[in-house]
Amino acid sequence: MMVAFQPVPAVIEAIDKKVADNHLFTFRLSESISVAPGQFVELSIPGVGAFPVSTAAHPGGATFQACIRRAGRVTAALYRLDEGANVGIRGPFGQGFPLAAFAGRDVLLVAGGLGMAPLRALLQALLGERGRVGEIILLYGSREPDAILFRDELEGLAAAGTIKVRYSVDFATELPWSTDAYVCRIGLVTELLRDLRFAPAQTVAAVCGPPSLYGCVLEDLARLGIDPERIYATLERRMQCGVGQCCHCVTAGVFVCSQGPVFSLAELRRLPGSI
Amino acid sequence: MRSWAFQAGFEDRLLQSLRGDYRVLAPVRGTDGVVRLQPVRSWAELSPAGLPLIPLKKVVFPPHDVLWTLMEYEYREPAPSSVPVALVGIAPCDLYALAYLDLVFADDPHYQRRRQNLLLIGSNCRPTPECFCPPRREPPPFDLFLAADRLWVGSAWGAGLLTALQAELSSPGDLPLPAEITDGQQQVPENLEQLFTASAGLPLWREVGERCVSCGACSAVCPTCYCYEMSDEALPDGRVARRREWDNCFFRNHALVAGGQNFRPTRAERLRFRFEHKMLGFGALRGISACVGCGRCARACPVDIDISAVLAALAGGNKP
Repeated sequence: MMVAFQPVPAVIEAIDKKVADNHLFTFRLSESISVAPGQFVELSIPGVGAFPVSTAAHPGGATFQACIRRAGRVTAALYRLDEGANVGIRGPFGQGFPLAAFAGRDVLLVAGGLGMAPLRALLQALLGERGRVGEIILLYGSREPDAILFRDELEGLAAAGTIKVRYSVDFATELPWSTDAYVCRIGLVTELLRDLRFAPAQTVAAVCGPPSLYGCVLEDLARLGIDPERIYATLERRMQCGVGQCCHCVTAGVFVCSQGPVFSLAELRRLPGSI
Repeated sequence: MRSWAFQAGFEDRLLQSLRGDYRVLAPVRGTDGVVRLQPVRSWAELSPAGLPLIPLKKVVFPPHDVLWTLMEYEYREPAPSSVPVALVGIAPCDLYALAYLDLVFADDPHYQRRRQNLLLIGSNCRPTPECFCPPRREPPPFDLFLAADRLWVGSAWGAGLLTALQAELSSPGDLPLPAEITDGQQQVPENLEQLFTASAGLPLWREVGERCVSCGACSAVCPTCYCYEMSDEALPDGRVARRREWDNCFFRNHALVAGGQNFRPTRAERLRFRFEHKMLGFGALRGISACVGCGRCARACPVDIDISAVLAALAGGNKP
């Protein structure tokens, strides 16, 4: 099939500004597209440019939801737009999380910062068929309490006993909070692994966060006994074309945009320089 | 392969027969010494031209291309030119390079539109000391190929061009192409993948990479370099144009993401990246060498970085 460079026209339907510089955008598309958890789209601000962003919700269809950090030229332009503004969405691109691999197993999600957004889409997909997976534990590290994304939603799920949630924050001025459902500690997300009670042999892990997170967490999970074939991470790179042409995202000979961005740790070990 | 002998002056009559229907481009050496693909009227203008400095990728994958324009809510693709282009006097290495780009852009509508309108008339070259073509199993793609006083037909399109010129052709036969087209001058080591993987820690990359000034000349003149960047432009009439432009893996921002993380921050890493792309290929094309051995990159490099010397050093030879 020929590559399509034209985006699907979309409008900004809602902007949730609860977390500064990490707003949750909901876009309404003029044609439905199906973006699986872990896949991404190129969001186009006409006249400015485009950037890659993962879906933060599942299922999408007529809407597309993404957490977008104000980080560069194009995202800064997006932050200047209001609800109703026209954008374009091209995609979906890449290989998402292999949902079949989660069936019948416990799930450990490890998120760092904005990495919570793709994992929220995965979580929603898993919760859509809650009976197909065992226990779901979320370990989620943020810079500070105010930076925690989807906090109401996650704490609701924890309070209902649907999933277990453990937060960590790098910085906090007062003691972190704790309830029966969820706890929060000061420190890095890796701290949460130390006394975690779970069954590694029957667990699938999905990790998403900044590159520095992968350097330690992925091998830690393997050391705890999770099969490296069942530890998944999604790589951030400069994806631009989305279809394995423009070459910016290539890592160890692999197009992260089309062959990834989700890889297992077993695959990443064969890709030097990927983590 | 079908082949005929032709008489003196045939090349000019071939050019003449193309002129009405095609935009005819061929490598021509200018008074400044630079060889360019440009319109020609006679075969004498081609000789002795050699390889065009900017290779034929620019015809099918222009340095600046408009992917779409947007007016209000309507996206439009630019109307392609309907005049077919005939590239004449193209050396085998450049034809092989086009075959590689055909693989890269197999699903690219903008490339394919131009490619399907492209007539290729190859001609034999004389390898120079800087050439390091790899040996080939298959002939390169062409519609017609001329060598000395014989021509070969590579497609039905090429055969069709000859109907009006039959009187000047003789001695038809089923002859192989001249051997020098496929012989090559430098063998790529069979275990290059392993040599490359093992080379990660070698000082070679740093030593050579540190000479690099990140000017990007090597990629601009490479017949198979195709990295691109997309950017938007607001046009004076109110439209927005999304453009695709040649990019360069030696540029510092090639792997830079918003927020400041650079996945190839050093020149040594970028040199190794380019070498990997040229010699080993990416993604589905892993194992297919993109380097056709034309030597343009080494000639264009202001600090004498020569990818064939890096290859030789990796295979156990002298330091480049």
